[in-house]
Amino acid sequence: MKKIYLLLCSGLLCAASLQAQPPIIAKPQSKAIALKGATIHIGNGQVVENGVVVFENGKITAVGNAQTSIGSAEVIDAAGKHIYPGVIAPNTNLGLDEVSAVKATQDKVETGMLNPNVRSLISYNTDSEHIYVTRDNGVLIAQTVPEGGVISGTSSVVQLDAWNWEDAAYRKDDGIWMTWPAMFSMGGRLEAGTVKKNDKRGEVMGELDRTFKDAYGYSQIKNPSPLNLKLEAMKGLYDGTKTLFIHTDYAKEIVEAVNFAKSHNVKKYVIVGGDDAYLIIDFLKENNVPVLLNSLHRLPGRTEEDVDMPYKLPAILHKAGILVGLAYEETPYNYRNVPFIAGQAAGHGLSKEEALQIVTLNNAKILGIDTRTGTLETGKDANIVVSTGDLLDMRTNNVTQAFIQGRQIVLDDKQKRLYKRFSEKYGK
Amino acid sequence: MKKTLLVLVAAGIFSIRAWAQPTTFPRNGVYDERPQLYAFTNATIHTDYQTIISNATLVIRNGIVESVGTGIAVPTGAVVTDLKGKHIYPGLVDIYSDYGMPEVKKEGFSWGAFYLRPPQYDSGKKGAYNWNEAIRPENSAADIFAIDAKKAEELRKLGFGAALIHNPDGIARGTGAVVHLGAGKENEVLLKSNASTHFSFDKGSSKQIYPVALMGSIALIRQTYLDADWYKKGGNKVERNLSLDAFNQQRALPAFFEANTRLNILRADKIGDEFGIQYIIKTKGDEYARLDEIKATNAPLVVSLDFPKPFDVEDPLDMVMVPYEDMKHWELAPSNPAALAKAGIPFALTAADLKNKADFWANLRKAIEYGLDEKIALKALTVTPATLLKMDNQIGSLKKGMIANFLITSDNLFGKTTIIYDNYIAGNRYTVTGMPDVDIRGEYNLAVGGQNYKMTIAGMPEKPEVKIGVADTGKAVAKSVLNNSLISISFKADKKDKAEIRLTGWLTGNNLKGEGILTDGKAVKWVATYSGAVKPEAPKENKADTKSAVADLGKVVYPFIAFGVENKLKAEDMLIKNATVWTNEAEGKLENTDVLIKGGKIAQVGKNLSSAGVKVIDGTGKHLTAGIIDEHSHIATESVNELQASTAEVRIGDNVDSEDINIYRQLAGGVTTSQILHGSANPIGGQSALIKLKWGEGPEELKIKNADGFIKFALGENVKQSSSMTSTRFPQTRMGVEQVMMDAFIRAKEYDQALKKYNPKDPNAVPVRRDLELDALAEILNQKRFITCHSYVQSEINMLMHVADSLGFKINTFTHILEGYKVADKMKSRNINASTFADWWAYKMEVQDAIAYSPTLMNKVGLNVGINSDDAEMARRLNQEAAKTVKYGGTTEEDALKMVTLNPARMLHLENRIGSIKAGKDADLVLWNGNPLSIYSRPEKTIIEGTIYYDLERDIKMREELQKDRARIATKMLAAKASNPQGAQMPTPKVMRHYHCDSLFGNEGTCGKAKTFMEVHFSE
Repeated sequence: MKKIYLLLCSGLLCAASLQAQPPIIAKPQSKAIALKGATIHIGNGQVVENGVVVFENGKITAVGNAQTSIGSAEVIDAAGKHIYPGVIAPNTNLGLDEVSAVKATQDKVETGMLNPNVRSLISYNTDSEHIYVTRDNGVLIAQTVPEGGVISGTSSVVQLDAWNWEDAAYRKDDGIWMTWPAMFSMGGRLEAGTVKKNDKRGEVMGELDRTFKDAYGYSQIKNPSPLNLKLEAMKGLYDGTKTLFIHTDYAKEIVEAVNFAKSHNVKKYVIVGGDDAYLIIDFLKENNVPVLLNSLHRLPGRTEEDVDMPYKLPAILHKAGILVGLAYEETPYNYRNVPFIAGQAAGHGLSKEEALQIVTLNNAKILGIDTRTGTLETGKDANIVVSTGDLLDMRTNNVTQAFIQGRQIVLDDKQKRLYKRFSEKYGK
Repeated sequence: MKKTLLVLVAAGIFSIRAWAQPTTFPRNGVYDERPQLYAFTNATIHTDYQTIISNATLVIRNGIVESVGTGIAVPTGAVVTDLKGKHIYPGLVDIYSDYGMPEVKKEGFSWGAFYLRPPQYDSGKKGAYNWNEAIRPENSAADIFAIDAKKAEELRKLGFGAALIHNPDGIARGTGAVVHLGAGKENEVLLKSNASTHFSFDKGSSKQIYPVALMGSIALIRQTYLDADWYKKGGNKVERNLSLDAFNQQRALPAFFEANTRLNILRADKIGDEFGIQYIIKTKGDEYARLDEIKATNAPLVVSLDFPKPFDVEDPLDMVMVPYEDMKHWELAPSNPAALAKAGIPFALTAADLKNKADFWANLRKAIEYGLDEKIALKALTVTPATLLKMDNQIGSLKKGMIANFLITSDNLFGKTTIIYDNYIAGNRYTVTGMPDVDIRGEYNLAVGGQNYKMTIAGMPEKPEVKIGVADTGKAVAKSVLNNSLISISFKADKKDKAEIRLTGWLTGNNLKGEGILTDGKAVKWVATYSGAVKPEAPKENKADTKSAVADLGKVVYPFIAFGVENKLKAEDMLIKNATVWTNEAEGKLENTDVLIKGGKIAQVGKNLSSAGVKVIDGTGKHLTAGIIDEHSHIATESVNELQASTAEVRIGDNVDSEDINIYRQLAGGVTTSQILHGSANPIGGQSALIKLKWGEGPEELKIKNADGFIKFALGENVKQSSSMTSTRFPQTRMGVEQVMMDAFIRAKEYDQALKKYNPKDPNAVPVRRDLELDALAEILNQKRFITCHSYVQSEINMLMHVADSLGFKINTFTHILEGYKVADKMKSRNINASTFADWWAYKMEVQDAIAYSPTLMNKVGLNVGINSDDAEMARRLNQEAAKTVKYGGTTEEDALKMVTLNPARMLHLENRIGSIKAGKDADLVLWNGNPLSIYSRPEKTIIEGTIYYDLERDIKMREELQKDRARIATKMLAAKASNPQGAQMPTPKVMRHYHCDSLFGNEGTCGKAKTFMEVHFSE
């Protein structure tokens, strides 16, 4: 904190420095730490009252009740507090989109229709102010995702306390992102009723089909020559090292997209968006399709939908046995609200622990990082959030400590700094 | 017959005149003026929609009715047509036609184009005309009318004889003309020029940017009336304006307003009321969904018969895309004319809007099946339009001296199988199907080639259907052609035959005879001997279907969309017992407390209240708060933005949309009152509407009565048009914004003083031109209108405060202010309210320093702070947004709740009526199932003035009923599709949810209603 105050007072360039200085990145965990006395929300539905979490060298070594042995760990008293796994924000533009209205700050959309080979990690800006604002509410892991075209590129999962993208990488190149060609399109004019069948669809679908077939064929060749960057990037889809994330919302398109992925030998795929998922629950179940819902903070897609439809959608899908994750898509200023969309879901049919699981364990599963994080279980990374109150409710969310891979991160951000600055001005 | 044929030829080729005098046109050839005297005898004559004379005679001479009735002597020399068994009707009048008018090329609005080339701010029309291209009263339909033979024939076939035509282009469209639909020269068919004057909300081909919104159109019409008045009273000394000249000349003409949608009907009528004009309003056919309000306008209507096609709902996943209101409209549209008639609303019917004009009769007959009285239907196509045009002494009925426009039909005009034979226009015959020369229908014995067959000729006289009984296959349908009295018949005597027997013949007395060729090529003679009339067949039409379709009609709901209610909701007295009551008053939060509601007001707050007979609601374990008030909303409005730098004249209140589903959705989030604001496309935006979310009520009922007026101002990137690559609109910088403000208020000040100084008694004084823009600004100067200003960064906020100080006006509120925390002290010293977002930031440059702690900081400094939505979705959870102030900076929970209740009430000057729970205030309350600031809580009941507009239990029931009703209508649609597979339309998603052309269903930005991109884009 002191360092920041120093900066504040360091002369004429004060404001500029202020904007340019995110907090210091934490040093690796040097000694074992035990968080004691808190209510521990494991992330898989279980809760331990008055529990203990111990972690060392970045890994959780013990989780249990008050009697759990803590060895020589440094004790942090967390009595009365709540402890959670770090929340995971999938499908973000974090580090790729600083100021949406300013093109120069945008690094999320590459030109062209088929760009499986472009990698978001390369653009990921660890100095983005969004990162620090986001993690202050308990989000410690994010998936940073390219947009645009039909195949937009390759995403990576990052942890939110790093000097550079290399250090930030938590799971490199985890998935390929694709937007399913829509059945309907809009005319250029704004009058109502200009929605019509998308007549360019056949062409795009043909191109997709060809690309996926070629990519599969290519993946079977041992030493392909010449090397093809695009097809090379898609190889992982066929051995399960990369997940195919498909944006689509309309029920029929979801079915098409899933069948497309299956018939093209894609091992892992996820439906992103999935507004209409509740209309085709059996299909999703039978095919074991995970659904990554976008913000619940959207209006029902149709006038006839239940007024609380987006809010209760996670509960509907979860109760049907579908693996459902939650994201706050494309709005960097909202990533800090990911815990609250889980809370919103808990207000509409999920239990609080189920809601938590959706933004921790389920999101981890969808991103393929559930063996390393997503719950507070022994052996997993010590990605831990401590809050004085319920993390999922803005009324009580108040993060006092957070650890990424055991490192206690500095909970400071631009907004807090400005708050302090102007609190000083008014003496309040 | 021969004579009639001659006339026909003459009419077609030589354009026989309707009048006795030759025209001014010279002839190439000899004059061929004829007596033009015709008598139609033995007819059933419908002289007008309600008078029927049997066995009557109609005599016309030179295109004019000479006499009509019984016992009329046929004048010597008259060409007589015997119409025994046939009917004569007055020719129909289409009162809303674009016949003979040029095609209108609509400009529309393309956002892409807006960004790529500078918009056109001035009129492109050369000459001494109005400043706005869409105001074109100088246009005259008569001037540009050109006969369109094809379209005339199309309308004649439907039975129309005359039409009011106008060029449907622009907002003030100029005059209409009445023409008859005969052939000839324009000089001959033009019955009346300057017959009417026309208006709409649609600027048509105008390329000028203003107006782009419905409320802009309304403001422009209003200003034009004022301008015309000023012009008449002396403004013409200041400028010559041919448009205003024309406008003033048209003040006494029947004025038509193309409103179309039901709410636009109300809007059009309201403009008329302001200027003492009763418009005749053209509708779209959905009036049944707001019948009471429309009846109250007293406007005569011109009603479209454009009924929608059924949707193809075979596939349930296609069906999900069909909005409930579209399903219901499909079902109820044919009942619209009957509903209007039943309500006693005067109306004319029109063939306008029908893409396929041939649907006119099918649809009209459908309307009759759905309960429209035939007489009223006929009236709506004859006397009513004639009367509205003040031409009922010329057209619309058949009386001596009137224009000889009439129809000869086979039977009752509205009968399913009735045929219009001829359409006489100005005394000239135009064949529709043509009257048959002969009626050969009957049973015959056909003898041909040594064989005898039974032959039945049925069908219509002009299109007989021949069936011939053959040995093994029963009846063979023969191909037959009847041409004058000649008939051709071909048939297979045996089904197995490859060749046909072919006959040609003619009528001889009752019998038919002629020549034929057998299958082997042998020539034979044949004869068919008449043996008697055809036995009538049992009627084939499945009346049962129609009957049940009509009997089983769904109910109208208010508003006419999903979750609308059959009966408008009513206030009840009630006692809410044992709740945690957040009073927002000095008492603070009261546990185990009762609130009594009487007559829409809070009657009492206290413990253990009782009140006999009133409904009791158990509030145990629940929380009761004042209704949420959203200071910054864009729901329930048809348009949001105008694009000129100052549009203080436009009023959201002119285009409140009571049929917006977001009203209901926000009730479900506890919102009871909203300020509907203009967007932020310009520094000086339009006037707000303050509404309560009274679901089911019409637009006027939503508006809060006796509330102060507010207006939206805006600063920053939107008004600089920072995202446009080509914008040249002033201002482009914050420096320019200051100058726009200064300039506007200096002008307003001078204007206000001039108004006050003007002495109407001084004969030399030119009246001050009323300027609605400056009126609004003068109201601000006179503290009769209050500014809420969209604002971001401190510099511009500071600027506006200084402008206000220097010109002596006040700023009421900085809305969604984001850097308010930086200038809170300055705002405090001026007592300016701060309405803000809880945590929006970062999406553009001017929000880089926005912080979630701002509301708390401003609250600490002592400002009246509110949290607003500016977003139809976020408004559904404003309680959660308020709760963020608890998290960010530690605002107390009670203060946080006030930020979405009492504090915005203060900003809207309504704190004496709403915003807290106190005896005497409006009973605008929300009963929550938990702490109202918790993310886990939701409203169970939302009450406005004692009416429960949202009830969670009722909502859940309605969801089921909605699905049931959709299924019911779907069954009907499927039946309709089965009977006419080509007649169904494929559903497409109605609503644009995202701007990307190829990702319609993608991503965020959902809009429950089809808002334009511009509205969504500029609404922040």
